[in-house]
Amino acid sequence: MESKHDADDDADGNAVNVAVGALDTAPIEAADERVSATSLNAFLAQIEHRAFRLAEMQLRQREDAMDAVQDAMLRLAQHYRDKPPEEWAPLFWGILRRRIVDLQRRRKVRSIVVGWLGGGQDGNGDELPAWDPVDQGPGPLDHLRDAQAYTAMSAAVRKLPQRQREAFMFRILEGLDVADTARAMSCSQGSVKTHLSRAMQHLRDQLEDWR
Amino acid sequence: MSAPDTHLAQRARELYGKAAERLDPAVGARLQAARLHALAAAHAGERRHFGSGARWLIPSGACAAVVLAAVTLWQPMQPPMPAGTAGTAQGSDLDNELPPDAAQTDPVLYQNLDFYGWLASTDQTAGRH
Repeated sequence: MESKHDADDDADGNAVNVAVGALDTAPIEAADERVSATSLNAFLAQIEHRAFRLAEMQLRQREDAMDAVQDAMLRLAQHYRDKPPEEWAPLFWGILRRRIVDLQRRRKVRSIVVGWLGGGQDGNGDELPAWDPVDQGPGPLDHLRDAQAYTAMSAAVRKLPQRQREAFMFRILEGLDVADTARAMSCSQGSVKTHLSRAMQHLRDQLEDWR
Repeated sequence: MSAPDTHLAQRARELYGKAAERLDPAVGARLQAARLHALAAAHAGERRHFGSGARWLIPSGACAAVVLAAVTLWQPMQPPMPAGTAGTAQGSDLDNELPPDAAQTDPVLYQNLDFYGWLASTDQTAGRH
């Protein structure tokens, strides 16, 4: 039963990846730039905004997202600047992924500690969000239709399990190939396909309006 | 992947790209500053790496000085060489310059120290005349 399920996932995953491969060849803005960046400065310049959006989508807080991207840039520059430019993308996304996971774990620990200390309640005894940040309020993008759709997509993506979310972000949003995604996620290529297949299945259910 | 999946993936990537493009300018400026800081820090680290040879000279020199001082201080503390070794002749000369052994001296000498002192001063006075 398990193996049949896995086999189904594999088949589905392959189909997803074939289609995503076709998507990769579609004309995407700045796609050429992604390939041609040969200096680290140019690479970081073209990736930093997307990295911030990706971190923000997972961490839901701008300052934490900024910290994560800053740290990832610093580590890449300090430790991997001499690597070939084609390796920078998977290295950078891998560093950022680990940093995001670190921050999520710290938040969890903080929320537990605050809960023990009784800081999780306000004066009326109501529960306060110990670490979950308050929404910063609608920005300019929220007045646009695309912004609403992006918000809906972000919410749906955040509901995914961690590994499925990472597979979707690197493979679909960032457009990394399977090998680079596997490298960024520190897992096998088969796992990437399985996670992505399941992520697409969940997102299909959550984003029915997009059909 | 079915047509809805392809559409979903295309739409998701399109929205993601637009959201990145329309990032708040203040955030964009902070990201740019962070990038420049990261590159500057990496360059500074590289310079430190190249200067690491010179950096090692200071502790190495300090260690060498400490070892030299230790060896210099240790030499006088060497125990005297036992009799019968190569330095015996030189050692006997040094013994002559040492004060007499109190145990082997005639005790009468100590009893008449005042007399001998007077005698020595008298001899010096007579020598002047």
